[in-house]
Amino acid sequence: MMSVRRRLLILLLPALAILMLVGGFADYLIAVATTRNAYDQALASTAVAAAAYLRLENGELRFTPSARAVAALRADSAGATLYSIIGPKGELLAGAAQLPTAAGAARTGVNNLTFRDAEFQGRELRVATLLTPTDVGPAKITVATTVETRARAQRVMLLGKLLVDFAELDITLLLVWIGVYYGLRPLRALQEQVGARSPRELQRFNETQVPGEVRPLVTAFNRLLELLHDAALSQHRFVADAAHQMRTPVAGLLAQLELLLQAPGAAAVKAELLTVNRGIQHLAHSANQLLALARAEPFSALPENFQSIPLQPLVEQAVERNIDRAEKGGLDLGAEAAAASVIGDAWLLDDLLGNLIDNALKYTPSRGHVTVRCGVLDGCPFLEVEDDGPGIPESERLRVRERFYRRPGSAGMGCGLGLAIVEEISRVHKAAFTIESGANGRGTRMKVLFRRQTT
Amino acid sequence: MQHCAGAGEASNHSLMRILLVEDDELVADAIVRGLSRASFTVDHAPSAEQAQVALAVEHFDLAVVDIGLPRADGLSLLAALRKDGKAMPVLILTARYALADKIRAFDLGADDFLMKPFEQAELAARCRALIRRASLAPSGMVRLGRLSIDLLGHQLQIDSQSVELTRREWLVLESLAHNLGRIVTKERLMQALSGWEQDLTPNAVETHISRLRSKLDGAAVIRAVRGLGYRLDEAEVLPR
Repeated sequence: MMSVRRRLLILLLPALAILMLVGGFADYLIAVATTRNAYDQALASTAVAAAAYLRLENGELRFTPSARAVAALRADSAGATLYSIIGPKGELLAGAAQLPTAAGAARTGVNNLTFRDAEFQGRELRVATLLTPTDVGPAKITVATTVETRARAQRVMLLGKLLVDFAELDITLLLVWIGVYYGLRPLRALQEQVGARSPRELQRFNETQVPGEVRPLVTAFNRLLELLHDAALSQHRFVADAAHQMRTPVAGLLAQLELLLQAPGAAAVKAELLTVNRGIQHLAHSANQLLALARAEPFSALPENFQSIPLQPLVEQAVERNIDRAEKGGLDLGAEAAAASVIGDAWLLDDLLGNLIDNALKYTPSRGHVTVRCGVLDGCPFLEVEDDGPGIPESERLRVRERFYRRPGSAGMGCGLGLAIVEEISRVHKAAFTIESGANGRGTRMKVLFRRQTT
Repeated sequence: MQHCAGAGEASNHSLMRILLVEDDELVADAIVRGLSRASFTVDHAPSAEQAQVALAVEHFDLAVVDIGLPRADGLSLLAALRKDGKAMPVLILTARYALADKIRAFDLGADDFLMKPFEQAELAARCRALIRRASLAPSGMVRLGRLSIDLLGHQLQIDSQSVELTRREWLVLESLAHNLGRIVTKERLMQALSGWEQDLTPNAVETHISRLRSKLDGAAVIRAVRGLGYRLDEAEVLPR
């Protein structure tokens, strides 16, 4: 879709151009009339001045101009001048005999002055004729000048006018362009605000800080955000409810089975019972992991759950929770926790750490070591779990984060979601999840590096 | 109301009574039988209202309360219980994922929090730890398998035989016994000892721990958790 600026310019350009052409033409007409009047005035005064040199000599009309008057007649301010003085009987007293007169043309002036355009010897002329009364009858004094000078002056005037109009048009368009640019600035600010939002940030935009024209858009947008937030909330609730609905019967089944295994006759069917137990455990684990993944999704991670979380107690509690399991597997589980804290969702971070530890305990053989660390690195808080197990080849390090991916030959209970959950929770916290080799190139070090904390 | 007395294994907590408040029959039945087998006496109430009735007339050493109950939920039962001035330990059970629940439970005075599904053994162990901790304050006696620690009389007995401890070993054991089943950091042990030794090194703590271990002679376990500290546990006979 065309930009508002371009659309506005395209709409304005022809209208403005027509307006300016009409204005220019009107200016031109006024200029033409003004120059013609000025030139006519000059011709008239020349004719009137010439009339002063008519006198009667022995009953005959004579034209006796002074040398200065002749020179003035020949070339006055209006350019090259032609003239003819014709007596009452039509006799030529002076000047060019064939010069057309303006006698008979509509009277445009005072004092019996008439003007007209005529052609003489292939030249365009402006002719003024003065009928002046003498004792022997009216004499006809005609003064003419070429129109070339006048036309040139008019052309210059027209050109100048058009140039000014054109410049005016350009400046107008430029002003419109600049005006639209500044006028749309709040819109761009809004666009930047929207662009900077993450899926978690669903708070309303301030409606009072945008121009009136954009307000309905922001209001509609805010409404959409509210709907999104409601949807996130119901997703969050669904995940919690689903967990409840699944965990309760699973807990009942597992507890019953545990009792059954200790019952007097259980020995005979112990293998079968253990298989059923493993199956239910697997079901419980998968359900747990799927729900953990669902609540880690950016959409269902609620912003109101994000708080300042100290990592040290988180690490200590996670290690404490897994101590017995590590011992059963013959593993040395330890912590190296330094003070650090992040803005995050405590439960999600607990899920993240739990999955990292679970992964390490699962894949590290007996007599191995698993160390859980937290601290601050160059101002950035981190969580880290390192083991001295077989390690993950570099080619596999990206794939193991994929959902449902299980490394070939991996044994035991798992559904391939652990590291996908870690990846998802890291993303929600804008943290970087990396997998590298442990100390001395042995084992695996999984690290979640958070951003520098601003508060 | 279902009443199930502990049968079988003779033990010193057969007199310990637990009130289980849980509406799911499958879970409740398993917990009643599981805890009875672990030598507790268990009363079962399927709703908060029935639990209130039982609490009004009987004495319980511990309540195991599920959050998701019909009508009044587990947390409001907990609140009512504390309001009535009942100080017995309460373990909250939940199948629901919500951090807010956990925080509220502890705010209302819960002593422990366990997510479903859980292992019976873990539930029994937590019940034991809670009851021990609760009984610690009035009697000053900690019983742990063959161990009997008299915190007021500064006496340690294994199988009713007195064991002589140095002052420092006693201080270490005292710290650990006060926090049964919980990790005690090395720093805290050092603080406990610092009144007695001027130049205390972390190695000194290890020395005292290892001497204490040899005196306990396997009657109880002092587990070292790398980077965190030490935990006093019952010597378990791990089923292999």
